[in-house]
Amino acid sequence: MTILRMGYVHARVTDLARAKDHYANTLGLYPTLEDDGKLYFKGWDEWDHHSVVLEEGGVGAIKFGFKVDQASDLDGIEARATAFGDCTVTRMSAGENREVSDGVRVHLPCIDHTFEFYHSMTAVGLEVGTHNPDAFPRHLVGIGAPMLDHALVIGEDIDTAARFFMEVTNFYTTERAQTTLGDDAQTIAFWLSSMQKVHDIALLRGPNGKLHHFAFQMRDWNDILHAADIFTMDDVPIDVGPTRHGITRGETIYFFDPSGNRNETFAGGYTSYRDRPTIVWTADQLAKGIFYHAREIKESFTTVFT
Amino acid sequence: MGRLTVVGTDVDIAMKPGETILGALHRAGYAATSGCKRGGCGICKFDVVDGAISYREIVADTVLSPELRASGTCLICRAVPEDDVTIATRPESTVRCVAPFLTALAR
Repeated sequence: MTILRMGYVHARVTDLARAKDHYANTLGLYPTLEDDGKLYFKGWDEWDHHSVVLEEGGVGAIKFGFKVDQASDLDGIEARATAFGDCTVTRMSAGENREVSDGVRVHLPCIDHTFEFYHSMTAVGLEVGTHNPDAFPRHLVGIGAPMLDHALVIGEDIDTAARFFMEVTNFYTTERAQTTLGDDAQTIAFWLSSMQKVHDIALLRGPNGKLHHFAFQMRDWNDILHAADIFTMDDVPIDVGPTRHGITRGETIYFFDPSGNRNETFAGGYTSYRDRPTIVWTADQLAKGIFYHAREIKESFTTVFT
Repeated sequence: MGRLTVVGTDVDIAMKPGETILGALHRAGYAATSGCKRGGCGICKFDVVDGAISYREIVADTVLSPELRASGTCLICRAVPEDDVTIATRPESTVRCVAPFLTALAR
């Protein structure tokens, strides 16, 4: 059973037109569908129909989709999630989400977030094609974000949520933040991976149902700096960066969409392996873990959610 | 256009048309408690003590409920004063001068 990646984020925005301008013209995602009050986007280096779905009304996350390798993987997820308990498991039919196959929907009340597992999505294709492709599309828009990378969600009982991802969907913990190294330590955050990315999803202890950010994968540090320049040109509020995380070693900018949902551009980060030792950060060094250069917690980063 | 004042501080700024309260504070060299700056996180709540404000952008009810709006709570990142307006900080919010030379220009 393999989860391939976080395939989509479905988020709320207050103003669809403003959101479209941000995600299409600043982030450079390709609009693939506009239907029933929802906008669908994909990055140029993605082949499935969409990785971002935006719906008007409110702010924050509605749900996250994970693509599995085989349709038969869904049976295992359904069975293990049901056995796991502490969650609501339902089958979803093909087309319930536009262009998405049938799947399994799981709501985790311990963090009040919803995750969907699906096996296929309408293929749209890489923007550079698959036959003798160029390195990138010639006329990218804005920062030209290639693809969705991960999300950080917030909830009260992240221990149960992390156990769900490890026991039900076979993720492993690449990094963990905790109060101390003692036996009675409380966990603060988990970074979880399915394959070799440094994280596919991260969990942060805090109020239930909140979104901290969803992130787009950039090629390198140069693209991160270039993205920050574009954000200034487009008056995008930058929360933090460009800088490096101690955690994951990734290079980053945090910024806000026109509704106040936090986005991230993420580059680098090491290649992880299932047998790589889990990295542990303690609370007294957490600031270095979060912002490797500033080594200070920025209030907005730890208190501002949607 | 009207003026922006903040209770208990020396803030007294000549507003520009369409300017948000946070925008005016920044222009006048003040730092103020704020988060996403797009009306989504609700960190920049201040109390409107006198005067009226409006929003040029949609602010979600889940961020600022109708009850909070009615009781005079505003999000300074999105609130645009109609005319003279006086706001007050809340226990969790602050306003402080970080660039006095800008303050002088905004009087």
